[in-house]
Amino acid sequence: MSTSRRPRLNIGAVRSSFAPWADPSLEPLVRFEGVTKRFGNETAVNDVSLSIYESEFFALLGPSGCGKTTLMRLLAGFETPDAGRITLAGEDLAGRSPHQRPVNMMFQSYALFPHLSVEQNIAFGLKQQGTPKGQIADRVTEMLALVRLEGLARRKPHQLSGGQRQRVALARAIAPNPKMLLLDEPLAALDKKLREETQFELIALQQRLGMTFLIVTHDQEEAMVTADRIAVMREGHIVQIGRPAEVYETPNSRYVADFIGDVNLFEGAVTAADGKRVTLATPDCPVGFEALEDDRLAVGSTAWLGVRPEKIQLHLDPPKEGPNRMAGKVADYGYLGDWTTYVVELESGRTVRAARANASRLVARPIACDDLCWLTFAPDAAVVLTR
Amino acid sequence: MKGRPRTGLAALAPFLWLGVFFLFPFLLVAKLSLSDTALAMPPYAPRVDWSAGWAGVRAFFAALDFETYARLTRDSLYIASYLSSLMFAAVATGILLVIGYPIAYGMSRFAASTRQALLMAVILPFWTSFLIRVYAWIAVLKPEGLLNTFLSQFGLPELNLLNTDTAVYIGLVYAYLPFMVLPLYAVLEKQDQSLLEAAADLGCTRTQAFWRVTFPLSLPGVGAGALLCFIPMVGEFVIPDLLGGSGTLMLGKTIWTEFFANRDWPAASAVAIAMLATLVIPIVLYQRQQTKMIEAGR
Amino acid sequence: MADWGKRLGTAAVGMMALVLASCGQGGPGTLHIYNWSDYIDPAILKDFTKETGVKVVYDTFDSNEVLETKVLQGNTGYDLVVPSNHNVPRYITAGAIQPLDKSKLTGLSNLWPDIMAYMEPFDPGAKYSVPYMWGTIGIGYNKDAIAKRLPGVTIDSWDIVFKPENLAKLKDCGVYWLDASEDMYAVALNYLGKNPNSTALEDYQAATEMFLKARPYIRKFHSSESIEALANGDICIAVGYSGDMLQAKSRAAEAGDKVHLDYVVPKEGSQVWFDVFTIPKDAPNPAAAYKFLDYMLRPEVIARASTFTEYANANKAATALVAPDVRDNPNVYPTPDQLLTLFVTSSKAQPLLRDVNRQWTRVQTGQ
Repeated sequence: MSTSRRPRLNIGAVRSSFAPWADPSLEPLVRFEGVTKRFGNETAVNDVSLSIYESEFFALLGPSGCGKTTLMRLLAGFETPDAGRITLAGEDLAGRSPHQRPVNMMFQSYALFPHLSVEQNIAFGLKQQGTPKGQIADRVTEMLALVRLEGLARRKPHQLSGGQRQRVALARAIAPNPKMLLLDEPLAALDKKLREETQFELIALQQRLGMTFLIVTHDQEEAMVTADRIAVMREGHIVQIGRPAEVYETPNSRYVADFIGDVNLFEGAVTAADGKRVTLATPDCPVGFEALEDDRLAVGSTAWLGVRPEKIQLHLDPPKEGPNRMAGKVADYGYLGDWTTYVVELESGRTVRAARANASRLVARPIACDDLCWLTFAPDAAVVLTR
Repeated sequence: MKGRPRTGLAALAPFLWLGVFFLFPFLLVAKLSLSDTALAMPPYAPRVDWSAGWAGVRAFFAALDFETYARLTRDSLYIASYLSSLMFAAVATGILLVIGYPIAYGMSRFAASTRQALLMAVILPFWTSFLIRVYAWIAVLKPEGLLNTFLSQFGLPELNLLNTDTAVYIGLVYAYLPFMVLPLYAVLEKQDQSLLEAAADLGCTRTQAFWRVTFPLSLPGVGAGALLCFIPMVGEFVIPDLLGGSGTLMLGKTIWTEFFANRDWPAASAVAIAMLATLVIPIVLYQRQQTKMIEAGR
Repeated sequence: MADWGKRLGTAAVGMMALVLASCGQGGPGTLHIYNWSDYIDPAILKDFTKETGVKVVYDTFDSNEVLETKVLQGNTGYDLVVPSNHNVPRYITAGAIQPLDKSKLTGLSNLWPDIMAYMEPFDPGAKYSVPYMWGTIGIGYNKDAIAKRLPGVTIDSWDIVFKPENLAKLKDCGVYWLDASEDMYAVALNYLGKNPNSTALEDYQAATEMFLKARPYIRKFHSSESIEALANGDICIAVGYSGDMLQAKSRAAEAGDKVHLDYVVPKEGSQVWFDVFTIPKDAPNPAAAYKFLDYMLRPEVIARASTFTEYANANKAATALVAPDVRDNPNVYPTPDQLLTLFVTSSKAQPLLRDVNRQWTRVQTGQ
């Protein structure tokens, strides 16, 4: 069974005051306007419009094949759009080849030059810019310190560990001081523990440099942890853009709700909607669902309720009467140390996931399979989705 | 069965091969180079008198000397043919690089299916006898040959290339081109295309990316190809004999003259041994290059 | 220790025998002949087999050097080999060929005493060899091309291929010399008025000086390519063997009326060469070899061979039976006057041979 995700929202909270996209007077650094890219019959990027602001840490998130990497490569200049335009600092990038664009990319494979030492790799872009020798040396030293590789300047890439290589690639891309850093799945090749550490390093680095970062990832946790804003992509389209918490807590579609974190989706028919609350009739919950919702949905229309596992309470004793109350029996559970995820089979036959924090070490009544139980959630814990 | 698997025999095979087909002939030739010519069957002395037992063997070794080698240093012919051979091989290797690199580079840029066909085209000439291919060049280069027929069609002056050093270079370059192209192609084809994107991303034009990334990374292939061509070209006999002029001086021909015209087997052997000694340096270089390539390929 | 060594030696010989088994195979009814290429009428071999039941395996070579290297190494598996005159003494000294048992050769009386006299210097008393063909060294040339460049000049002297002033006019149309040092030096020594069998190094040096002056005008030194080159019109003059030059002439005639060649034995005199049958010491089937030699001594057989090769034979009784166009050609069967100017060479001592070859290399390469 899959584990429940634990987004670290506190990091983004540090920059909660950072919201240039909310300021209409600000000019974005990068603007995609109706950009389309086709490969043969396949439309990799379909009419995408998107703005990224100075100093922003922006994530393109989606499953493989959703067009996120193509979108990044369009910006770097490795692909040419079939329609639309891309501007950087107000300047149209059309017709400018990769070497003329003031953005640098950190490749998924790192693409370190195997014949060059660490310092030569880092100096590569600087040399190309015609930076004087002395300045190159200073900048390289600075970069080595930045990524904590001071002792390894003379090593060749094949003499480095995966994590060290990743940092060389990062330093090499940052060294020429680009207007924007593009990171293509920067952490994909690292093991889980290193990946989590590196996520925080990336954030610290980005904040220290004040550089605009665009990260492409399929890992929603990586996007949630690092980015100021996330654009969720699906089949060449952007389906939602927002802060990590927005995307997580108020997904605008079942796709987003399901892609970001775990979610239980219940289908129902609207029985009432007064502009504050919505009630739904559903076979999964005989007493009916109730959730907060501003929209006045048409009575009788189909809607879905998305409830995250951690927002569902599991009771062994019958809880008090009210909506959002379902009875079932424990079908399976997974102990994760900090959390335990339970799979509960409802009377309707479908299963629901519920997560419980393991708040104390000793549990008076351990829950076992086939135990009868009840599930409840608060009306403000659910999100109403219409598509 | 416990312990290490029994690989004894398999491990011996390469040594056995080298022993029988390299070391043993080498020792024979080395021994020959220390002998003297004689009007006998075979035409050299001393020979071991086995019937005399141990004394015969001792007498045999006592009769060996380095006189032939001393003669090699006294006569400028040998030095001249060494230098001339090295020169031929070096210049031809240079030309091969200049021609072979673009071919290998071009091949490596094609789609995988086209690459296979091109690779085939490079190997195809091997399906014809080497001798026939060299003879074909005679037909092309001779005074009334294809080249001059072609030139005269356009009113251009005729070229007299057959039996000149130019013809030897043409023959060498033609015959050894695959040996240059294949190792170059092998390294170029393996090259990670994302490295070129990285170079472009860091400000390189295509040309700059070639010189800063593609070329340095292909150096192991350049080394392998150069040595693979250079080493056998130094001792090449057939091409200078058929396409070269009488004045074309190469070691292969010198050895031939010593062996056949002078019936001087010791001198021919000494020249061959000296050539091998000269070639040990590039061979060792080649070995090191190979080791490097294997390490870099990890 | 010695025992071990002996066994090793035996093993090595055994291995060698194994390698050479392909040459040595065949029963007592098989005869192995090693002769120059294009040098016999195949019908003669067929008839021989028909008459005697001896199967013939016939291999060919195209240089005396290759032949001698093989024969001196031994174990060739051949019963008959055909070296040229100046190699024979070395074969005899090295013990590579066996003396002939003349009682087994009934046709020896057919041989031509005048011609046999030329064999005295290299095989006294013809103890080891039976002549096959003989011929001269001379000049093959393209009549039209030479007439255009040297109008009015009669080609009858070595001057044409040895004098730089003549060669300068011929350089553009191509001059070949033989790549055979002993033959070229013999001819040159005679041309310079010296003994063609001289053992004095100075004589050879004088010849070398002459060669070097002519060298810039020589396109190539080659002993067999001149046939094709002359016949194609690629070159216009060559020093060559009579049979080769005549072969070039007939090839050119067959190819159409474009190239007109001729051959001349220069008036200063020239070398007579012999290709002779010899039996290697270790011949596996000498009995068959004798049978074949005796067969070839029959006038009607050797006459057929001459008609085919366009070379003269040393069989007096056969001369009348050779085709008239060969027999009456003074370039094949020299006139009695011409015979007086001809000479023959023998083997040189090894050190002299070495020096002469070294000088020849200098002529060719300038080194």
